[in-house]
Amino acid sequence: MAILERKERVSDEIPTASMADIAFLLLVFFLTTTVFNEERGLPIVLPEADQEEVDVSAKNLIFFLVQPNGSVVVRRGESEQEQVVSADQIEDLLRAELAANENLIAAIKTAPTAAYRHMVDVLDQVKLSGAERISLQILEE
Amino acid sequence: MAKRAGFTRKSSASEEIPSSSMADIAFLLLIFFMVSTVFRKEREHPIEWATAEATEKIDEKRKNILHVWVDPEAQVFINDQLVPYESIAGIVRPLYAENRNLVVAIRGDRDVPYAQIDAITEQLKQSGAVRVTFATRIEQRVQRARR
Repeated sequence: MAILERKERVSDEIPTASMADIAFLLLVFFLTTTVFNEERGLPIVLPEADQEEVDVSAKNLIFFLVQPNGSVVVRRGESEQEQVVSADQIEDLLRAELAANENLIAAIKTAPTAAYRHMVDVLDQVKLSGAERISLQILEE
Repeated sequence: MAKRAGFTRKSSASEEIPSSSMADIAFLLLIFFMVSTVFRKEREHPIEWATAEATEKIDEKRKNILHVWVDPEAQVFINDQLVPYESIAGIVRPLYAENRNLVVAIRGDRDVPYAQIDAITEQLKQSGAVRVTFATRIEQRVQRARR
């Protein structure tokens, strides 16, 4: 019996030296798989479907007609005169208009064939100008 | 120089980085990432983002946001399912009834014709989910000037 007996050499403690390695391994895994909650965009509230039509007087309207090539035609509600501008001029233009009339509604009418980014460019400018009342429509031919 | 000798002290600090506390540091970081991590439930669709300077951070809980993807071929995906345009309202309506705080984030490819986006917003109006965001990436002034 005495021959078979061996000296117990296995330590009964958890090896703490490798603990850091294990923890870092898990850490790197979570670091690479983590996605922080990031939702960015241009918020807008759509009109509800069953809402009754509201008559807006023409002087409180300004139309931005987005053409298929990305150019923008500005049309003021009361006067039928039209003005062609590039997208990045809209901010200053609308800011001046809003200073004169704070009830102004910016209506963005986009041609069906125009790329989505042209509409976003215009909406971006309208947002930058601080307009609160925005309407999105499709431009009928 | 000889004067300085009076100030020398025997340094008792070890020159090695204490490895015993390393595990604690690592576990602390680990727990932080475990708690803050949210696994991606949805497949990301490869789209070219539209950019806008006025891009805002949407402070809304993840569960209140519904993504509507519009890929470059103008196909619409909601919750990883290809959805025909006319049935968007039918899909969004029960989701909105369940959660009144729902915000619909339209993640559209920048070159999709606007008619498609309009079709989606029309469907959303019908479903009652009227809080919408057009998901964009931030555009820097510099970038704009270069164009």
